Amino acid sequence: MSPDYAGLFRALGPEAALVVGALAVLGLDLTLFRRHSLGERLRLALWVGSLAVLAAGVHVWRGGAPGPVFGAVLMLDPLAVATRFGVLVLTLLTLGVARSSTAQRQPAEYVALILFAATGLILMAAAQQLLLVFLALELASLSLYVIAGFDRNRPETAEAALKYFLFGGIAAAFLLFGFSLIYGVTGSIELPQIAAQIAVQGANPLLLVALAMVLVAFGFKTAAAPFHLWAPDVYQGAPAPSAALVASASKLAGFTLFTRLLWPGLGAAAGSTASFNAGPGWLPAVAVIAAASLLLGNLVALAQTNLRRLLAYSAIAHSGAMLLGVMAAGRAGPAPLFYYASTYGLATVGAFGVICAAERGGRCEAISDLAGLYKRSPFLAGCLAVFILSLAGIPPLAGFFGKFTVFAAALRLGGVAAPAGSLAILAIALSAVALYYYLIVLKQALVAKPTAGAQPIKVAPATALALFAAAGLIVWFGLFPAELLGLF
Amino acid sequence: MSPLQLCLAFSSLLFAVGLTGALARSNSILVLLGLELMLTAGSVNFIAFWRFGPPASPATGVVFAIFAIAVAAAETAVGLALVIAVYRHQRNIRLPEANRLKG
Repeated sequence: MSPDYAGLFRALGPEAALVVGALAVLGLDLTLFRRHSLGERLRLALWVGSLAVLAAGVHVWRGGAPGPVFGAVLMLDPLAVATRFGVLVLTLLTLGVARSSTAQRQPAEYVALILFAATGLILMAAAQQLLLVFLALELASLSLYVIAGFDRNRPETAEAALKYFLFGGIAAAFLLFGFSLIYGVTGSIELPQIAAQIAVQGANPLLLVALAMVLVAFGFKTAAAPFHLWAPDVYQGAPAPSAALVASASKLAGFTLFTRLLWPGLGAAAGSTASFNAGPGWLPAVAVIAAASLLLGNLVALAQTNLRRLLAYSAIAHSGAMLLGVMAAGRAGPAPLFYYASTYGLATVGAFGVICAAERGGRCEAISDLAGLYKRSPFLAGCLAVFILSLAGIPPLAGFFGKFTVFAAALRLGGVAAPAGSLAILAIALSAVALYYYLIVLKQALVAKPTAGAQPIKVAPATALALFAAAGLIVWFGLFPAELLGLF
Repeated sequence: MSPLQLCLAFSSLLFAVGLTGALARSNSILVLLGLELMLTAGSVNFIAFWRFGPPASPATGVVFAIFAIAVAAAETAVGLALVIAVYRHQRNIRLPEANRLKG
């Protein structure tokens, strides 16, 4: 079989567009716009970056024939195409949010790194071979470490980035070691062959060690409970646009990647969750991680006074719910998980966008700093209400339907008595807890009086557009969920 | 012990030493060293499985190891840059003192 370079070229069109865009941003900034003011350079970088993302979106839209590409290195199934599209939309919204970012001394480098991170993320969405999985993950992670530490004036930012890097590096080492064991056990690094080999061999001890190591990396990437320690610090310390990208696009791509790895690749070693004392496999482990994330995220979020830390712990709780979607993906397909992860990403980008815009008008760290937002900027308060209510899962917003489909799929796995079913019940009960801390945020933003001397907030047009688009998409997908679910 | 088993024992030991270093050290450079050891253990595994395992496609293990070494180098570069960023603010690189963020 001769390699199909033309097909590979077509399939990698979006990545090429993003890389060319990143280089164009850097080149233009270093040559033509060298002497311009910071504001103009930021505007140019964002324009070029947005054009590159749009071009990549067109490439994804027109894409090649669905199916495996270049042997089986890439897989362009509906999940890959939808995730690529979702990542690009979230990146575009992040660029809109970055327009409002304060203390931006190297705008071109920042935008270029966002584009490189997006390149890694859309590769993650389609990768089907362990080497490419590892490289895409590292490309995305290394870019994200740098943009998480981009604000050089604040010591918190450097500290957050270093912690993110150290945890991420350890997770990457676990992933590499796990991949090497999978290669040793199955003799292949391509998921279809791995799946065939595992189906023949069954679960052996070495494979179980490999699974455990892959799950550690999965837990880190999605900020699930025992591996969540970096998340609150990064959400709090990183510049708001970076935190938005880490919390949304990176999570969506991570869930797609590991769902592909676990179900089509290692599905034969899934084990079973039919009863509480089932045999070894990764499903019981994922169930434990999901339960821990749900409990820890929701309960610790209650005690938070910092807005970003609250979002971080609620993100951990949402990860737990999305892990339920991963468990259900074997039977229900990836549609519920994708719906949940993408609409969650929209709401998170929006929430961080509101924080970023509010930071221009003064401090926005503690929840009480939001006081009187409805007077200082009615637009921001309205958008924040949509995002927070969607995160809390209030109908008719998309967050409600995301929870509904994922929990319904989990309940269908084995009824209420099976582990997945009881996890769904736990998640539903904890949603009530979550409503409490989300409403505390909204109470400050919509009811509390502004503190004396609080100025009105002016929102940059690009950011306003991004926030409006995110809020509009959340309402639209909430009213017409089939628009997303029908893609699969 | 067959050569493959020896290699696996060696790489597991390397991984364990690296993990201990990464988790227990308070100097961030030494944590970076631990991280490098863990990544190297993965590369050693790939080479070992390629050399002693059942014959599969010709060079998969070696290619993976080469890419892993390159990624490890990139990771160190980013890590050192972040260590310097932390040093600029707190004038040392001890992790226990990087504790502004908590709650």
